[in-house]
Amino acid sequence: MTTTSILKATDAQEQRPAAWTRWLDLGDRPLALLLLAPATVLLALIIVYPVCRLAYTSFFNLSLTSGMPAEFVGLDNYRLMFDDPVFWETTWNTVLITLITVPGALVVGLALALMANLPFRTQWPVRLSLLIPWALPLSFAGLIFAWFFHSEYGIVNDVLIRLGFEGIIWFNSPGWAFAAICLTIIWKTSSFMALIILAGLQTIPRSLYEAADVDGAGRLRQFFEITLPLLKPSIVVALIFRTITALQTFDIPYMMTGGGPGTSTSTLAMYIHQNTVSFLDLGYGSALAVVMFALSMCVTTVYLRMIRTKE
Amino acid sequence: MTFSKLTSLLLCGGALAFASPVFADTELKVYISSQHQPDVWRKALDQYEAKTPGVKVAIETGGNTSEAQAQYLNTVMSAKDSSLDVLILDVIRPAQFAAAGWTSDFSGKDLSGYLPAYVEANTVDGKVVALPAFADAQFLYYRKDLLDKYGLQPPKTWDELKAAAKKITEGEGRPDLQGLSFQGKAIEGAVCTFLLPYWSQGKALVENGKLTFDHDAAVKALSLWKSFADEGVAKKNIAEVATDDTRKEFQAGNVVFAVNWSYAWAKSQGEDSAVSGKVGVARLPSVEGGEQSTCLGGWEWGVSAYSEHQDEAKKLVEYLSSQEVSKFMAINGALLPTYADLYKDAEIAKAAPWFADALQVVETAKPRPVTPRYNEVSEVIRTTVNAVLAGVVTPEDGATQIEARLKRILR
Repeated sequence: MTTTSILKATDAQEQRPAAWTRWLDLGDRPLALLLLAPATVLLALIIVYPVCRLAYTSFFNLSLTSGMPAEFVGLDNYRLMFDDPVFWETTWNTVLITLITVPGALVVGLALALMANLPFRTQWPVRLSLLIPWALPLSFAGLIFAWFFHSEYGIVNDVLIRLGFEGIIWFNSPGWAFAAICLTIIWKTSSFMALIILAGLQTIPRSLYEAADVDGAGRLRQFFEITLPLLKPSIVVALIFRTITALQTFDIPYMMTGGGPGTSTSTLAMYIHQNTVSFLDLGYGSALAVVMFALSMCVTTVYLRMIRTKE
Repeated sequence: MTFSKLTSLLLCGGALAFASPVFADTELKVYISSQHQPDVWRKALDQYEAKTPGVKVAIETGGNTSEAQAQYLNTVMSAKDSSLDVLILDVIRPAQFAAAGWTSDFSGKDLSGYLPAYVEANTVDGKVVALPAFADAQFLYYRKDLLDKYGLQPPKTWDELKAAAKKITEGEGRPDLQGLSFQGKAIEGAVCTFLLPYWSQGKALVENGKLTFDHDAAVKALSLWKSFADEGVAKKNIAEVATDDTRKEFQAGNVVFAVNWSYAWAKSQGEDSAVSGKVGVARLPSVEGGEQSTCLGGWEWGVSAYSEHQDEAKKLVEYLSSQEVSKFMAINGALLPTYADLYKDAEIAKAAPWFADALQVVETAKPRPVTPRYNEVSEVIRTTVNAVLAGVVTPEDGATQIEARLKRILR
């Protein structure tokens, strides 16, 4: 919520002043600042400070395993990154996961939303089954699918073999492992897309479709001329959320493959985790995290521009 | 819930929180990983509680691989969390923990009764930073009954092993019978997987803190493991196999030869084992014309530098590291003793007859490189072994990658 909308809200209240506002006896602006202060302080403490601290640490050689105090090294950590093949590989994997799973989840999510919007007699079972994948913690989903795709005990290979195909050793090849991860992410995230799109679908007036029916427009035409254009705002919102979380992909590949085979399914977030939590190289880990932060900011800015030009 | 109920609940909770320390014993929390038989350690701890009034010991378990445990402990320790008092540490970690200042020293502790390898692993810059929990090394487990059936002796070289495994699996004709199981997943054990045939060629990885990487020996080592997978001696998805998978599959009777640590013995002789009484343990084979070498394992007890019960925690660690507990764990958990004398102990010999020969193996086992940056060294080796076994990179490229990345770490 922006400052102006809060100010408008307080304006409306001004007309019938409650006892406590008279007691406070503040003008609009100070009151607004007072009301905003807790949220601002909280955000500053839990977001602004850590991010600044992260950027600051990225200029130091700070490794807990060296037993040495932090040493200022300027841009060395960033320079190191450029020669680091694993950094490039994990960044590429992250981008690839984003490019595959965001459109994938959008398509599946849209289909699910359209199905859930069909006139079922009882709607709650449909809605509930939409909610479940979204409500499941990411790491649980990762563990469950790791078993689904297990080469010997997994249900996926069982079905493949029953259908007469050969079982696949999913996590033994970068391609199959990557495919398994992307499928899992799409399964996990498309229900979130569907929920937002479903909300958008329900705001579309039925009269538009009735008018289209009268004009003789077919089902497909109605979808492309009415449903899709009116859904755009919901889709953009869903895309922003999904893209940011896709860039931060960690839990599912971490639980399913641990980044393997080799480092072929490792993501940037996993590499940051490895450098900070396993290697205790906080300087380099911070520099990597700054890069990921910049990447997320760029994408968000692009999307926000898209919305603003729409308005 | 109404407001008054909530308030009374809070009041009660507050009263309890203030009241309890008055009556409570000192509660120590010991971190033991779930793969290290916490149930057996629990019995040793019960004995300690019985003879030490005023001290209660709780076990916290977590992580079934060495790296999972290290990650958890890294998080706890870098947060300076005081909730853990005593920690079990893989033999490769005391150096890192000491460098980070996470363990308390045992100043003046005399280590002379322990096996020399563990004196070395627990002494960093002249300070005793942890005490040995148990010794370990990798061994070759084999199916005595199957080897006898085909008139074979335990193999001395990897080539002999390959031939024997083929003969048995072909003779048995069971599609689910694996010739050899070893660790190909990108876990700590895969570092040893790489080092076994590398060391066997008489090469060292690090000498006096300097990288002494032998490219040809590394290619040969990686090619050897890959050949087991390619020739069907090991199963196709060997790149997914972790230590406990090897143990479970061997115990289920689906493996002829297995590379594993000492703990697998007690389980293989257990009630739910399909191979009880049919298992032999031998030294690991060598490469043709090389020496039989094995990886030094073992775990250590450290006291957290952030523990609020330093004295009690150190006393507990002295007990856990004593001859008495070492013997108890050897008999009940098949954990190798850290004292040379115990290998000749009659009761231990009854529980695990092969321990008598194990002393020589432990004494000649080679330690993995000792460096505070070991986690990075380990990651490079284990992910490359994993990638080679999965066929993502060739043994040649794998060796080149290991060399290039180790150079960066150990520069």
